Amino acid sequence: MAMLQVSGLTKKYGALDVLKGIDFTLDKGQVLSIIGSSGSGKTTLLRCLNFLEKPNGGKITLNDGILFDATDAKTATSDEIRQKRLHFGLVFQSFNLFPQYTVLENVTLAMDLQEKDRAKQQKRKPSKEAIQNNRKKARQILKDVGLEQKADSYPFQLSGGQQQRVAIARALALEPDILCFDEPTSALDPELTGEVLRVMKELRERHTTMIVVTHEMDFAYNVSDKVIFMANGKIEEEGTPQQVFDTPKSELTKAFVNKSKNL
Amino acid sequence: MFDGAFWSINLELLRGFANTCLLFVVTLVASLPLGLVVCFGSMSKLTPLRVLTRLFIWVIRGTPLMLQVMIVFYLPGLAFGMPIENRMGAVMIAFIINYAAYFSEIYRGGIESIPKGQYEAGQVLGMTDSQIFFKIVLLQVVKRILAPLSNEVITLVKDTSLARVIAVGELIRAAQDIVAQQAIIWPLFYTGVFYLVFNGLLTLAFGAMEKKLNYFRG
Ligand SMILES: Nc1ncnc2c1ncn2[C@@H]1O[C@H](COP(=O)(O)OP(=O)(O)O)[C@@H](O)[C@H]1O
Ligand SMILES: [Mg+2]
Repeated sequence: MAMLQVSGLTKKYGALDVLKGIDFTLDKGQVLSIIGSSGSGKTTLLRCLNFLEKPNGGKITLNDGILFDATDAKTATSDEIRQKRLHFGLVFQSFNLFPQYTVLENVTLAMDLQEKDRAKQQKRKPSKEAIQNNRKKARQILKDVGLEQKADSYPFQLSGGQQQRVAIARALALEPDILCFDEPTSALDPELTGEVLRVMKELRERHTTMIVVTHEMDFAYNVSDKVIFMANGKIEEEGTPQQVFDTPKSELTKAFVNKSKNL
Repeated sequence: MFDGAFWSINLELLRGFANTCLLFVVTLVASLPLGLVVCFGSMSKLTPLRVLTRLFIWVIRGTPLMLQVMIVFYLPGLAFGMPIENRMGAVMIAFIINYAAYFSEIYRGGIESIPKGQYEAGQVLGMTDSQIFFKIVLLQVVKRILAPLSNEVITLVKDTSLARVIAVGELIRAAQDIVAQQAIIWPLFYTGVFYLVFNGLLTLAFGAMEKKLNYFRG
């Protein structure tokens, strides 16, 4: 049984059908790349998975538990949604680091707040040990993304590539089941994309389950287990990278792949 | 000029200035947080609340503070037969309401200028709305609104002189009394020094705060 199952997912903005029934599955430890031209609904799909948007229809199942079911009448409370969100992490195109916190604090903030919440529920003080452990963990993750020396810097002191690596570290700190990336290198100067893609490749080596919306066709081809090509709010084609890039069945996919090759 | 009369006049003026300071401090302490409440009202998803709050802000900002002071002071007596005894209290109420409305608009501008991505980054990290506001957004808002806020606070120092329309003995009123009793004009002009020094200190304080928040950009 697949780790993630998305079926019949639809999303409308007013009269605009942005997602017209998305079905796919993803196994644990796999990397799924989503490609497609701008406006095809890739971002919206990631935002639905992360509960930043509420789908109009469909079902999302994770590890055999239903995360979202449009036919279920009762609406989730904000606390429930918060819990569900934690299954997914999201790395944004524009990093969205918290400017007033150091790199280390950006990574520990959410963990520390969770400890504070737990402490409040259990009517105790936040444990100093837990906070200490969060810092240790954050330092280790920063080391993994090659930024241990920048732990005490502020975001504005970093290059775009470094900021994006902090954003990845921040998402990893909460140990999501699935880490999503929305064009993580699109806002970067070309010479800075490499360092981010390298970190993502390393995550793959560690069997991190990932969904990556990307325009980096080399990355999609070489790093992913599965590629989805989206067009007009639908999955036009899906398969292994070889299937989608080398022997596309759909004319739309062919056109898109050829155009990307010529860039 | 620096004879006994000079010092006794200074003492008189200081008494007025004490009232000026009292009005300033009470207005600030009450209207800064109240402004945040008004601000949340004006940004509420509940349309009636939002519309009412914005109507309130429009009325307060669209009429002179002097008029508002007179209304707060005279209206209860005229309309309900319950005249207000405490003049300073009436002035304070009018000032607090007025400044809360102005502050709320400054806050709203600041809050709305924070990129949506900051909220969403907090959301995908599982934070609650209040955690997002207090841990992520608030300090960035403070940094952005410090300049307009300092403008407004300096205006408040000068606005305190409006209290004399209902005969509250603030600084200028104290000077006018001296002018009337002693047939000299300089105490009135001299009050300017008090305002200048006060605002000079405030400017320094705001400058220090701005510097303190200079450690980050955003
Ligand atoms: N909040 C929104 N309101 C209205 N339309 C939106 C909104 N977000 C996205 N859209 C529209 O949905 C379509 C898909 O957008 P998006 O998911 O961002 O595509 P992609 O990420 O593939 O470029 C676009 O036509 C876009 O204009
Ligand atoms: Mg997009």
